[in-house]
Amino acid sequence: MHKKQSRDLLLFILGGVVLYFLSGMVDELRVYQGASIAVYVIAISSIILLTGYSGQVSLGHGALMAVGAYAAAVARIELQAPIILCFAIAVLAAAIGGALLGAAAARLSGPYLAGTTLALAIGLPSLANQFSVLGGEQGLLFDVGFPPLSLGEEFTQYKWFFWIAALAALISMWAVKNILSSRYGRTWRAIRGNEVAAQLSGINIARSKILAFTISAGIAGLAGAMLSMTIGTVSPSAFPLALSFSLLTGAVLSGITTLGGAMIGAVVLVAIPEVADAVANRIGSSERVTTNLPGFLVSALLILTVLFVPNGPVEQHRARKAKKKNYLS
Amino acid sequence: MKAMNRRKLITVSAVIAALSLAVTAVPAQAAEVGVSSREIKLGMTLPMTGTASLGYNKIPGAAKAYFEYLNANGGINGRKVTLVVKDDRYVPTEAVAKTNELILKDKVMALLAPLGTANVKAVAASVNPARRGVPVLFVNTGFSGFADAKKYPTTYTVLPSYIMEAKIMGQYIKDNFEGKKVGLLYQDDDFGSDALAGFKTAGVNFAVKVPYASGSQGAAAAAGWITKFKAAEADVVILFGVSSATSAMLGVAAQLKYAPQWMLGSVGGDATTIKLTGVPAGVLYNAIGFSPVPATTDMKDEYVKLFSDIYAKAVPGSTFDLNVLLGMNSAFMAAQALKAAGQNPTRKSLMAAIDSKGSKFANSALVPLGYSKTSHVGLTGYWVGKYSPTGDLSPIGGSYVTYTTDSGAGAVVKSTYVRPAMPAKGLPN
Repeated sequence: MHKKQSRDLLLFILGGVVLYFLSGMVDELRVYQGASIAVYVIAISSIILLTGYSGQVSLGHGALMAVGAYAAAVARIELQAPIILCFAIAVLAAAIGGALLGAAAARLSGPYLAGTTLALAIGLPSLANQFSVLGGEQGLLFDVGFPPLSLGEEFTQYKWFFWIAALAALISMWAVKNILSSRYGRTWRAIRGNEVAAQLSGINIARSKILAFTISAGIAGLAGAMLSMTIGTVSPSAFPLALSFSLLTGAVLSGITTLGGAMIGAVVLVAIPEVADAVANRIGSSERVTTNLPGFLVSALLILTVLFVPNGPVEQHRARKAKKKNYLS
Repeated sequence: MKAMNRRKLITVSAVIAALSLAVTAVPAQAAEVGVSSREIKLGMTLPMTGTASLGYNKIPGAAKAYFEYLNANGGINGRKVTLVVKDDRYVPTEAVAKTNELILKDKVMALLAPLGTANVKAVAASVNPARRGVPVLFVNTGFSGFADAKKYPTTYTVLPSYIMEAKIMGQYIKDNFEGKKVGLLYQDDDFGSDALAGFKTAGVNFAVKVPYASGSQGAAAAAGWITKFKAAEADVVILFGVSSATSAMLGVAAQLKYAPQWMLGSVGGDATTIKLTGVPAGVLYNAIGFSPVPATTDMKDEYVKLFSDIYAKAVPGSTFDLNVLLGMNSAFMAAQALKAAGQNPTRKSLMAAIDSKGSKFANSALVPLGYSKTSHVGLTGYWVGKYSPTGDLSPIGGSYVTYTTDSGAGAVVKSTYVRPAMPAKGLPN
């Protein structure tokens, strides 16, 4: 166990080094997209934890991201807190939101839980319109500040975003991986497998489920704060219903139980608008098609994945390899 | 097996690291972004679809019509001007994403006429064209804050600010509706608060003020607004919202037979757009409107005549309205700025050209442009008109009387500006 942990830590550090060099060799658009990918990786890993491991469906993670983002922005504006503190506040605020949601939803499952979280996704972001401190429809500015001068004049803002987001992604992935391979991860898998059996073996179902919601929400809050950093503002329009659906799609694409696959889902989600753009330009279509094509592609991908690769490509590949091995041996 | 995988991973990472160090040694490009030997690329973001797109989605077609005319007549020193347009659905976060694409992916030289106060503000805060040195020309919003050259050093306004418009409206109300009750419909964001500031300076006291949240405008909402105006017994109702809000209001008012003295702000005051939504022309009759450029039905005006001819050829069947006129006007001004930027235009030379020569740029407006080394403010005034029985805006009394003011505490004065003749064929000389 100790050796595996230190090997994983080394891999994450190595990943960080690779990203550091990659950020220096690509142009600004790719760096900006890299930051978006990092944001999606964090968000998708939170869904994998909640849905893949503890078996609770959430269609409302966009709202939890919004809670984190608003908490970070308000902390920045009202308290002038340093950026790291803002991110910590984002995680905390979203985690509290998740704990409340989990407590309310602990007895629900399946479509009822999905419906509750869906209601949250629709209703929560517009709450910002009711309180002027939250900036209304126009939103709040979230400014993480310019990169330190020691990095040189040429160091762009977007590269700075990428570094921050990538670092957050690496740290959160490492944390999630550890949680999932710990006692808590095993408890969640037991609950997802068979709730009654889990209860019989002494697991406190409600507490474990709430814990899963809390941790998942905290991570989603971090993703929300990162997202606001990249676009510079927090407003209800940044967290539409489509975001929650995209996250679920990304998690399904990655393999709902495969943490390592989170990159796949994240890259696909960022690539879809570009693909849609290229397709729309090729067929020379009207504005309405161009605006709606990305959403359509996300939904189509979800349907196709569930039909053909329900466990995700990584799981599918592993299962095929195992089958081959069994067949040969 | 595990050890070999680990070694493989380390080897691959080392190779990538080495490659990236080598590749970063490649020198950067020398030519100006968005300018090639044959082409100059400009970018625009605005609502093409969605609740707020009504009327404004004609602007790209208008600007492109002018640029096609320009390109057919030699372009700018032999270069063709192309316009890349992206739909932001009037959502600020989408404006940020689309502007990112324009600057990073499409690599435009400058942004032309981005639309929407909240959108331009969000882009300035996050994409930060100022820090990148990207010119933001002739923003399609009247928010007075964009005149702040320290905050928005590469931004140039063209439309008179909302504060200026509110002050001129306030003066007209003082001169003509003394003692009457006035109501105001405004958008609940910086666009609306700018207007409120202007009315405060003008000393207008409202009997009722009705805000609406951007995106919420529609027939149902309009019915609610009318209830409030009726309850306050407003004699004059000022509509200071976007076209879709104005149309919703007038449409429902026509059905409920509610007919106060309407006063339409210029943002939502284009008659063609309003009539397209089914509002009967009779509702607009005798409403008061404002515009800095000549009436779009005034075929005696040389700019209106030329621009409507160009537009009719490029987009046959589409009506020439205020959005089209303003779009072509901004395109014309951009062309002059590009020409004045020299044989090899750069972003810096483009902005320097507007600073030094911008106040003399030919354009259809009936008030002067105020560009200088210390000011990025464009037009500063309006003429007051009334809508005819067919719902077209024309000057009260038949001839244009323009009023100018500033965004501060300065008085509203009658302008003595005489517009110089249009350059030959409406091309930059």
